[in-house]
Amino acid sequence: MSGYSITEPSPRQKWIAGVLVIGYALVTLMPLLWILATGFKSSSDAIAYPPKVTFDLTLEGYVNLFTTQTRQTPEYLAEHPPQTWYEEIVRDKGMVIAGPSRFGERFLNSTIIGFGSTFLSVFLGTLAAYAFSRFRVPIKDDLLFFILSTRMMPPIAVAIPIFLMFRSVGLSDTHTGMILLYTAVNLSLSVWLLKGFIDEIPREYEEAALIDGYTRFQAFYKVVLPQAATGIASTAIFCLIFAWNEYAFAVLLTSGTAQTAPPFIPTIIGVGGQDWPAVAAGATIFLVPVMVFTILLRRHLLRGITFGAVRK
Amino acid sequence: MNAFLNGLLRCRRAPWEAVASILIALGVFMLMQPFALVAFTYSFAVTLVGTMTFIIVSHFPE
Amino acid sequence: MSNTAMDRVAEATPPKVARRIRGLSDRVIAWIFVAPTIALLLAINIFPLLWTVWLSFTNYRANRPNLPVQWIGLRNYERILSDADIWATMQATAHFLFWTLFFQVVLGFALAWLINRKFKGNDLWTTIIVLPMMLSPAVVGNFWTFLYQPQIGLFNYGIAFLTGVDPTSFSMIGDVALAPWSIVIVDTWMWTPFVMLICLAGLRSIPDYIYEAAECDRASNWRQFWTITVPMVLPFLMLAVLFRGIENFKMFDLVVQLTGGGPGSITELTSINLKREAFEKWRTGYSSAYAIILFVTVFGLASIYVKALNKVKDR
Repeated sequence: MSGYSITEPSPRQKWIAGVLVIGYALVTLMPLLWILATGFKSSSDAIAYPPKVTFDLTLEGYVNLFTTQTRQTPEYLAEHPPQTWYEEIVRDKGMVIAGPSRFGERFLNSTIIGFGSTFLSVFLGTLAAYAFSRFRVPIKDDLLFFILSTRMMPPIAVAIPIFLMFRSVGLSDTHTGMILLYTAVNLSLSVWLLKGFIDEIPREYEEAALIDGYTRFQAFYKVVLPQAATGIASTAIFCLIFAWNEYAFAVLLTSGTAQTAPPFIPTIIGVGGQDWPAVAAGATIFLVPVMVFTILLRRHLLRGITFGAVRK
Repeated sequence: MNAFLNGLLRCRRAPWEAVASILIALGVFMLMQPFALVAFTYSFAVTLVGTMTFIIVSHFPE
Repeated sequence: MSNTAMDRVAEATPPKVARRIRGLSDRVIAWIFVAPTIALLLAINIFPLLWTVWLSFTNYRANRPNLPVQWIGLRNYERILSDADIWATMQATAHFLFWTLFFQVVLGFALAWLINRKFKGNDLWTTIIVLPMMLSPAVVGNFWTFLYQPQIGLFNYGIAFLTGVDPTSFSMIGDVALAPWSIVIVDTWMWTPFVMLICLAGLRSIPDYIYEAAECDRASNWRQFWTITVPMVLPFLMLAVLFRGIENFKMFDLVVQLTGGGPGSITELTSINLKREAFEKWRTGYSSAYAIILFVTVFGLASIYVKALNKVKDR
């Protein structure tokens, strides 16, 4: 028999596995690195033939992303020297900055709608999950299935009546409308995930609290919530990833005031086609919040992804 | 096989759920197969019947 | 201590009644907790759904609210289900579904199995592999049109580097034969990590003592793999397949940005086709019927999904 237990693979096995996984990770990382790199290229470097691996770093893409620009005559440019570093970058192309672009606004909308709906769906989901987990709710199984099945609807299919409904109650293209919509879509997931987590908290804890004179609400607030914290965190990741990145509803139901970034980024046009450095810059900035959130909470990812089917 | 038929007759859940699942799967297959337009035409009816059956029989006793 | 009116009442109340009062208040709390969720889902999911069902029997057009709405029975359904173009979009969806699931399952399971060899630094690499999942599908689709460009795209250069073909000789999005694969590749790139995570969760749920017992029985590694690992992970894998299956059946954002359904209508998946009918041609009644057909299909699959899920949980 070998000196290693079967649950601890041999060093050679580990080495081969490591090489294969790292190989895949590097390949899968290429498009991401390319997005990151393109954001720092000048527009001519971005579409160079053949593709450039080494290039001069420039913030042109980011400046283009956040500003709108107009072309000006050389006389005007000579009369008005650039005041700021970003003005200078734009001047190289013979342009001046006309004002901020809509990206800031779109990003803010994404933040409000994404985090707002995440908070709301986790909040309502926790309450509902607690009730489903602890109390006798009539037709519980049917209700739970009904809640899950709402997630299965193709967005385009429900978009038609929601479009009509929002139009008639004045919710179309508003933050409230989008928050409510994303909350409704995410609720199914959050109720199911959280029920799995709360099911695993022993009832004895609350019963002890009730005997000590806590009310149900206090027991829920002071005993159950802290215990369910990791479950709530992992649910929040999944809700945020959805609400942050959602495209179909956003493109159909919003156009101006409440439009989020995903429908906006692909429409960034430069001179003669898409402004790839700006698109890449937008994609990079847009990824950061979700990435930070996920990396902070990554320990809970595995349990969340299987509806809590994995026990600790 | 006999037990299966018996289960169907006595309105037991497991065999009926199996029947409904097969109907749904068949309906989805008919919807997406590239062989006959006729099958595509009737796919929705099959899926609908399967889904309805599933909803009803999920309330049968085990 | 017990001199308030409430306490005296409580003392005088027989235990049975007291329990009922407490049970009742629990029930009230249960409803308070569940009601907002149900209300929101009724307002934003069920009510629109019923509306869609009603619209599907009419000739309503959302861009002409003044047109009289006529009840036309099952005619919308008849037209959709005998339309060869829609049948073609279903086949495009089937191609997309089958191959994305195939590649994601094979790659996802293999990766999870390898990561579970617990080599040094596996946590870090898992996090890196998971990154594509967090991007917005629409932005991914958009950016991959850039990566797929024959002249300047990274993808074509990667292929050229590996196989020696001229990178300008093929266009993944423009070519009728390659376009269906271009969407499969991007979806696989983006969602393999998801399948991998679920498989990893499954692998980690297998207790060590099962392998130790197998080792005592002198079972070969190959045999252990097929008699322990695969059966134990299978329910998780099924979960992943059904989850991805349902998501990809309604795939819209990534593909609409990547190919927009083209060239021609070769990558026009059902959702893209439905969006054209509903929001470009504004045939609201017709597309409502279309939506109902898709919904019933997904709902049917969801029923099987929940059944499978319960089996996984009951193990």
